[in-house]
Amino acid sequence: MAQPLLQVMDLCTYFHTPYGVARAVDGVSFTVNPGETVGIVGESGCGKSMTALSILQLVPEPAGYIAGGRILFEGSDLLDLSWSQMRNLRGKDIAMIFQEPMTSLNAVFTVGWQMKEIMQVHGTAEGEEAYKRAVELLDHVRIPNAAQIMRQYPHELSGGMRQRVMIAMALANKPKLLIADEPTTALDVTVQAQILELMRDLQAEMGMAILLITHDLGIVAKMASQVVVMYAGQVVENAPSRVLYRNPQHPYTRGLFASLPSRNQRGHDLHTLEGTVPQATNWPPACRFEPRCAYRWGSCAKVMPRAIETEPGHIARCHLYDANIADRPEGATEGRNGTEPAAVQAGSPVRSVEAPS
Amino acid sequence: MSEGMPLLSVRNLKKYFKMRTPLFQPAVYKKAVDDVSFDVPRGHTLALVGESGSGKSTIGLMLLDLLEPTSGEIIYDGRPFADRRGRERLALRREMQVVFQDPYASLNARMDVRETLTEGMLVHGIGANAREREERAAELLRKVSLGPDALNRYPHEFSGGQRQRIAIARALSVEPQFIVLDEPTSALDVSVQSQVLNLLRQLQRDHGLTYLFVTHNLDVVGYLADTVCVMEAGKIVERGTVDEIFDTPKEAYTRRLLSAIPSLDPAMQELLAQSRT
Repeated sequence: MAQPLLQVMDLCTYFHTPYGVARAVDGVSFTVNPGETVGIVGESGCGKSMTALSILQLVPEPAGYIAGGRILFEGSDLLDLSWSQMRNLRGKDIAMIFQEPMTSLNAVFTVGWQMKEIMQVHGTAEGEEAYKRAVELLDHVRIPNAAQIMRQYPHELSGGMRQRVMIAMALANKPKLLIADEPTTALDVTVQAQILELMRDLQAEMGMAILLITHDLGIVAKMASQVVVMYAGQVVENAPSRVLYRNPQHPYTRGLFASLPSRNQRGHDLHTLEGTVPQATNWPPACRFEPRCAYRWGSCAKVMPRAIETEPGHIARCHLYDANIADRPEGATEGRNGTEPAAVQAGSPVRSVEAPS
Repeated sequence: MSEGMPLLSVRNLKKYFKMRTPLFQPAVYKKAVDDVSFDVPRGHTLALVGESGSGKSTIGLMLLDLLEPTSGEIIYDGRPFADRRGRERLALRREMQVVFQDPYASLNARMDVRETLTEGMLVHGIGANAREREERAAELLRKVSLGPDALNRYPHEFSGGQRQRIAIARALSVEPQFIVLDEPTSALDVSVQSQVLNLLRQLQRDHGLTYLFVTHNLDVVGYLADTVCVMEAGKIVERGTVDEIFDTPKEAYTRRLLSAIPSLDPAMQELLAQSRT
């Protein structure tokens, strides 16, 4: 692969709050190649949505600000762009769709008006031509009766239809990168399946890259070729999705997989992660997962883990894989299936964490 | 009451909503629930699955006596709803409780946890005095793994998972037999979901509770339910044990529902692959 489309390097997005500075995104790095789908997964408050908003520089100001890092899009740093240059980029080269289409569509204009606007603003089409393109696009996202939908208002459409309109708008200027933040969370399962399939087909056809942000491990498994797992503002694991699902390495990722309910777990208690997610104003000083980790030992509370490449293309931020950590307990080796890293610290809650079968 | 008798039976239950039509036009009815019958044995978990608009929540509301059926019968503990009057009808409110999807909306923001947990006791005359009710409330909190210091706090001070535990504690506060769980984990994160599911399972074991589980999450159904009714447009299109529904779905709609869910479960992945070819 020649040049990556998007390279996020050491991105930090902080917020001023009454309780101090919240480090919502704290040193996040990942890469998106042209035409590829990268999934960012994590639970509420892990910073995944803020990462996406930072890329587009839509972080709510003045409370929030980008405190450091680089966001290279086709080799040039988006953070160096002026406000108006950035404005030209949004909705053109990088488009974004959100969870709740009703709040991102304008309720007082027709679908057609909004579809045409996005092309006119970016100067890609005008008047009659813009209208024709808009109808084409609606056809393309498999909306029946496109010409009629053009005259309707967002509230007259169902949730699935609205999300299709959002996708059509996002694609209007043939973006190179589509950022989708929980695009199907508000939809029914069968509609969700249709929308996901639509996104995949459109991607194959138009060759754009997708950055998919979701909390649903199933959706990521289905859609993404590369998965970034976030916890407490950091990337804790980054791997090709096949590798990640076969061999999750970070204790948090393992815990997440193990806590998924399924028929195989019937009659057994599900795995739980002890404790709760820490506050963004008050992250634990070293490893942020340490207070909840079943594998923790002394160094975990003292030294911030480095991101370690545990196998080619597979990165985990955990001392278990760091040969330079002097006091690693015996047996803490690469945690391939079968050879679990042992939690040997006396008094720590030892639990067996199983990879999904 | 005999042991073999189901705790709850629903017979030919219907709920039609009259739609708005122009003046002088014949009335049009939306058949939200259309001739549904099922039994829930004591201590069992029945899951109602289907998409939004399939009528599953409407059934839940009718079972809780919060919505009048158009026709049909609901028999709880051997006595039809219709035969219960006055105090006996009110007693249903104690026997049957509900936990809703959104713990942000279902707790009263202006009541502290003490009030939330003791209000139902007060109404149903549980506990001799305020002290005893408070002791019970603290005990309920312990059951759902929250500390007694939570009593003085308000819902906004808790996380989503903690709020859902408070909602569960509130349901338990009047010692019910039967709980309607309406999407109790869909608003929660994965790691919190597993805590709440474990809690629900444990409470069912300890108290012999009977659950009606309303959800569209088939992974949760596979984990928790004994029997499943698949609903489409107000009707039950298929029913069976979890294994029957998952392994040998008969109806096209059930198969479509199963294949629509992105899942890590290998059995489901296989199904997914089959449905594509």
